[in-house]
Amino acid sequence: MSDNMTTSTVIFDGNVFSLNAVKKAAYRHLKAFTADISIIDKQIQCVLTFPTPLSEKGRLQVENEFKKEVLDQDLREQLHVETAAVRNVILAHAFSKTGLTTDEPVSDN
Amino acid sequence: MSQFQTIERYQPTRSTYQLLPFRFTPLDEHQYVLTNLAGEYIVLNRPSLHDLLAHRLSNVDPAYIDLRARHFLMDESAAITPTLLSLKLRTRYQRLAEFTGLHLFVVTLRCEHSCPYCQVSRRSQDTQRYDMTPEAANAALTLAFRSPSQHIKIEFQGGEPLLNFPLIQTIVLEAESRNQTLGKDLAFVIATNLALINDDILSFCRDHAILLSTSLDGPKDLHNANRPRPGGDSYERTVRGITLAREVLGHDRVSALMTTTEASLSRVHDIIDEYVAQSFNGIFLRPLSPYGFALKTRSYHAYNTERWLTFYRQGLDYIIELNRRGHDFAEYYASIILKKMFTSDDPGYVDLMSPAGIGIGAAVYNYDGSVYASDESRMLAEMGKDTFKLGHVLTHTYEDLFTSPALLDPLEESFAYSNPMCHDCAFEPYCGAEPVYHYAMHGDFVARKPESEFCRRNMETFRYLILKMENDPFAKRLFLQWANR
Repeated sequence: MSDNMTTSTVIFDGNVFSLNAVKKAAYRHLKAFTADISIIDKQIQCVLTFPTPLSEKGRLQVENEFKKEVLDQDLREQLHVETAAVRNVILAHAFSKTGLTTDEPVSDN
Repeated sequence: MSQFQTIERYQPTRSTYQLLPFRFTPLDEHQYVLTNLAGEYIVLNRPSLHDLLAHRLSNVDPAYIDLRARHFLMDESAAITPTLLSLKLRTRYQRLAEFTGLHLFVVTLRCEHSCPYCQVSRRSQDTQRYDMTPEAANAALTLAFRSPSQHIKIEFQGGEPLLNFPLIQTIVLEAESRNQTLGKDLAFVIATNLALINDDILSFCRDHAILLSTSLDGPKDLHNANRPRPGGDSYERTVRGITLAREVLGHDRVSALMTTTEASLSRVHDIIDEYVAQSFNGIFLRPLSPYGFALKTRSYHAYNTERWLTFYRQGLDYIIELNRRGHDFAEYYASIILKKMFTSDDPGYVDLMSPAGIGIGAAVYNYDGSVYASDESRMLAEMGKDTFKLGHVLTHTYEDLFTSPALLDPLEESFAYSNPMCHDCAFEPYCGAEPVYHYAMHGDFVARKPESEFCRRNMETFRYLILKMENDPFAKRLFLQWANR
């Protein structure tokens, strides 16, 4: 086996992580690798292709960063769902009666 | 019945708090920065972030108190939080409803300097066809006053605008006349290299409260190398002009901007010292933009983002040390970002606006009557790409221009709230959409953000400012002062 690798495979459990979280994490790393993502038996398989060959240490570092980012994306999804109602209330209140839309009553004050 | 709460009331509890919307991004290896809807930030380590999201944070944890105070969570004692967040958010975006406040009039593209980094592609000074006509200026003024903004700032740009000073006089007098009935808050700025300044021009500027904004790239040798002109005396003329202008207009009526060339990179202390020697209260450390001669002469590609960041960090560190020694001096790019971090008052800096500042923050009336969405848009047009041309002052109405697809499409497409990566970036409240830069460099209004040098430069700057404040209480106090100027 060569010391320097141009591809690597990382697998995520589809019961734990969403496909969207994995895709978003891969996007953030597109300078470090391109990812071919597929689902096989509820496992999200990511084949990473590096633009230049990486040492074993370098490959592990990139994979770990990718895994951390997938976890962050998963947490962001949870947060997004959990705060959806209050976010809508805040946004609706913030932009009500600003005159930015034509069909809303605008106060004289 | 006891008058007091039971002891259990004061025990640490797993509070039943509710999370409020926020975004988080790694700050360094161990810490995250979190920002809420109003742009307020807090720094947490990874375990605390996970505890927060899993509702495991105790209500006596110091982080809990901070998170509640800064609207990242609410409990039964802070039910008013959503209303407060709404008000802050509304204040932050109020500039949108005001619409265009800055109107740039390119009264001529002629210039007597021949700077190799010129981003506007100036023309030699004897070519009159690069002057704006009075008819075009009059029509542009009508458009500027159609803006709903109560604050109208007219900035005269070039080339060197003083080469067409008679037109500046005409526009100023006509604007003041029209404003007698409109009653807007009207201001004028001339962006000039000051080489041609004289007593008559200064008297007019004094009588009409016109501000002057000039270029000063650093000490004499650096400035003159960056900014060649016949006689090689750009520095001498600029410094003389600053002195004269301050005598006639007042000290604070003259400001200066620097541009960073490759020759500047090793001399950030010298550059800052020059600004101190010329009695300026601050400096705007500014990289080159990818337009005009800066691209043609390869000035733009002479240094990369990493070298720029090193230059910027060295400069900022030096300025902090100057302040530590008692010298009141600011860095203006950091000040803009810090205002966005610590106040609800958006400074309206076009590069750091989302929705983008094009058209909304500024409009440009070019020498030939063309209307562009920003200064960078007309720079791009001089390179043969008129993607951001909205129309012409003599043939298009205000409605045609400001509902043009050339404006609305990039505004909509580049809106950071709905862009990949920006959407969940904690720095989004401080950053900008910048469709013109991304179009110039990547060929579309959004670009892939992991490949965007704009994104990298700004993300690293935000990180640097926040880490400075986390690690240096003096820097934090100083930065708060800059934010509230």
